[in-house]
Amino acid sequence: MRARIEEYLLNPPAGSAAARAVEFGIDLTLTIENLRLTPEERIRKLDSFIESVAHLKNSSRLKGPANATAEQDH
Amino acid sequence: MPLPSKIIEAPLRLLGEYKVDCVIVGGVAAAVHGSSLLTSDLDVCYARDAANLLRLAEALQSVHARLRNAPEGLPFVLDAETLKRGLNFTFTSDIGDLDLLGEVRGVGHYEAVLINSLTVELFGYKFAVMDIGKLILAKRAAGRPKDLLALPELEAIYEAQRSTQDD
Repeated sequence: MRARIEEYLLNPPAGSAAARAVEFGIDLTLTIENLRLTPEERIRKLDSFIESVAHLKNSSRLKGPANATAEQDH
Repeated sequence: MPLPSKIIEAPLRLLGEYKVDCVIVGGVAAAVHGSSLLTSDLDVCYARDAANLLRLAEALQSVHARLRNAPEGLPFVLDAETLKRGLNFTFTSDIGDLDLLGEVRGVGHYEAVLINSLTVELFGYKFAVMDIGKLILAKRAAGRPKDLLALPELEAIYEAQRSTQDD
C-alpha cells in the first residue's frame, strides 16, 4: 500500500488534491520521505528540526548581523 | 537561557507517564500523518472527567507549568479545579510548551475528537492521534494562515490514502 501511496504522490492525477498541493508549492518528495518513517521517527525528526532552528537563531544572535555576514563570506 | 531539547518528545512522555487521556491534535498530529510542515509545540485535546483532570494537574505541576505569556504575578493555581473551570490553556514549562484544548474548533470535545483516531506507540506509550479527515476540518475551521498553509499537503495525504484503499 505504501508503494501505491508514493506512486500516487509522485505522479498525482490531474485535478487531484496532490496535484493542487504541488501547484501550491508543496514538495511531496518530503512528504514521501516522512511516510517512510515510523510515527516515532517523524516526531524525532521534528524535534531535531526545532533544535536546529533554535541553535541557528542562538548563534546568529550571539554573533550579530555584521559578524555573521563577514563569516559567511569566508 | 538553555536551548530547547526534545520539545515534543518530553511533553509526550510526561502525558504518557501520568496516563493522561488525550488526543494529539494540531501540527504534531499532522507530522504523525506524514506532513513535512514544522510546528514548535504540542497540542492535545484532553478528557474532562474528574480523574483525568487530577492526573493532568499532577503532570503539569511536576514540570512547573505556568501560563504562557501571562503577566508576571498573575495569580494562577494549577490544580484540577482550575482546569475544570477553564477550557483551553497554553502552558510553558520546564520541558517546553504544551497547549491543552478542551474543545477543537470544527470537531468538538474529547469524545468527538477521539472517534476514528489512530492509536500509535510513541516513546513507549500508546497515544490517540486525531484522524486526518478531522484534522483537515479543524484546520479549515481554525482558519489562521498557518492552518490554511497546512491544508494542501494534508489533503494530498488524505486523498492518497483513500484512493489507494479503494483499489
